[in-house]
Amino acid sequence: MTRIDVLELTKEYGSTRAVDRLSFAVEPGRVTGFLGPNGAGKSTTMRLVLGLDHPTSGTATVGGRAYAALGEPLRHVGALLDPQAAHGSRTARAHLRALAASNRIPARRVDEVLDEAGLSAVAGRRVKSYSLGMRQRLGIAAALLGDPAVLMLDEPSNGLDPEGIIWIRELMRRLAREGRTVLVSSHLMNETASFADHLVVLGRGRLLADTPMQEFIDTQVQPRVRVRSSDDAALAALLEGHGYRPVRELDSGLDSGRWNVADARVEDIGRITARAGLPILELAAQEGTLEEAYLALTADAMEYTARNAPPTETAASPREEARQ
Amino acid sequence: MSFSAVLHSEWIKVKSLRGTAGSLIAVLLVTLGTTALAFATIGQAEADDPGAEPLYDAFYALNFGQIAAISFGVTAMSSEYLNGALRISLAAVPRRGPFYAAKIAVLGGLALATGLVTAFASFLLGQSFMGPYAIGLDHPGAVRACVGAGIYLALLALFAAGLTTVLRSGVAVLCTLVPFVLIVPFVIGDVAGSVAEFLPDRAGQQILHAHPAGHLGPWTGLAVCAAWSAATLLAGWWALRRRDA
Repeated sequence: MTRIDVLELTKEYGSTRAVDRLSFAVEPGRVTGFLGPNGAGKSTTMRLVLGLDHPTSGTATVGGRAYAALGEPLRHVGALLDPQAAHGSRTARAHLRALAASNRIPARRVDEVLDEAGLSAVAGRRVKSYSLGMRQRLGIAAALLGDPAVLMLDEPSNGLDPEGIIWIRELMRRLAREGRTVLVSSHLMNETASFADHLVVLGRGRLLADTPMQEFIDTQVQPRVRVRSSDDAALAALLEGHGYRPVRELDSGLDSGRWNVADARVEDIGRITARAGLPILELAAQEGTLEEAYLALTADAMEYTARNAPPTETAASPREEARQ
Repeated sequence: MSFSAVLHSEWIKVKSLRGTAGSLIAVLLVTLGTTALAFATIGQAEADDPGAEPLYDAFYALNFGQIAAISFGVTAMSSEYLNGALRISLAAVPRRGPFYAAKIAVLGGLALATGLVTAFASFLLGQSFMGPYAIGLDHPGAVRACVGAGIYLALLALFAAGLTTVLRSGVAVLCTLVPFVLIVPFVIGDVAGSVAEFLPDRAGQQILHAHPAGHLGPWTGLAVCAAWSAATLLAGWWALRRRDA
């Protein structure tokens, strides 16, 4: 078994509770996205799993054992925490050689992971000459060193170029397909949506959600339909007549000419407009995105809410405003 | 987890850092360089001085070499406290006891080997400039002084390494320790007798005298110096075990 089990985990720093009675499990065979605003406790949880920080109470285990009890831990768990942590004066190869030696991992494995991370050509250069993206690749190479069954990656796509982002995405999906347990924290929603199968969402150290990704989106975001007609006013009246509340859609603050209808299905709207004989120029189901779902969930849990909330893309229809 | 694997890992870490390997080599080069400079110029003139003590004076350059030994202890340990490097190290070796023990063993072993080579080499080099005043290893206490000087350098490196673990910063340790070693003995020097004798550098240097004066003998002095190192190493262990990485 290669599950990560977090049980009633609590970590206090002075009077702040970074992780608050947190319980969840990360299962093998899928990529689990680890989400939450800054300061939600994602990195702290990872450090607690690795035994780097001592929990105030509760336990975190890998395959049922505390991390420190794993004989040669790099052969079981690979972790990427901070890409800046490799000493700048060492070469990438020496950095990995030292890690490999401590867990009796053969030296040829160092060259394999350097190759896999695309660093072979620069392996003899000192880490301080590396860009953030290259350091990130080195950190991922270190995580892969012991061919571990469990991977924990903290913001792995930070600083990577577009090719790097595709590489890490494909890598994580492949590792999960091979039956490994992959936990990936991120604050980039579109990015996470592209690789995660399952989500664990934290807010202020507490568990907010632990669900499959699609289910998470469906429960958080109502299905919407966008529709455009050559006869704008007739369309709005028709929709309101059927109990819908169409909202004018804005495109960069300008009227886009479309109506956005919450809680609707394209099948229903299509039938209504056809029966009324209204010419339809556009009719599309609007899928909820992970970003919308995430923002809906964490709106209350946000620790650092921006003072000026960004303007929403949809605004009340002129008719509704007139009525108020 | 195999201890020899952790030792191997620490050995790779030390030799792959230019600053750490450099400060170790500096122990030897600084001591030999200063010896050559001082003995070739004023060696024989000073030997005529009524207060001259041929054996103790032979280790004059140790005053400079010990700064390099401290730097070695500091840089080797402080590399773990840069940008959270310790987290990577402890993720690989989560049992902190073996991790710390391996680090201290590699550090101490390298410092001791370098210290012994430095002590014998600088003694012999210095005496080669002394002409009629030269003493050899057959001089009373000479071998003891050379061996003791090597151990003394290793103890200072360990003292610094332990302190670095407690303070988690190389800069902080160098800023306190170097002035401490360089200036304090001059200031309190001959004024305060008994207290200054028990400071790590004073106590450790008792072994350089053919006939040490004061409360501490050659080996008891070195033992006091070792006690200082043991104290900072234990404090470092306590800090490493208790703290979050």
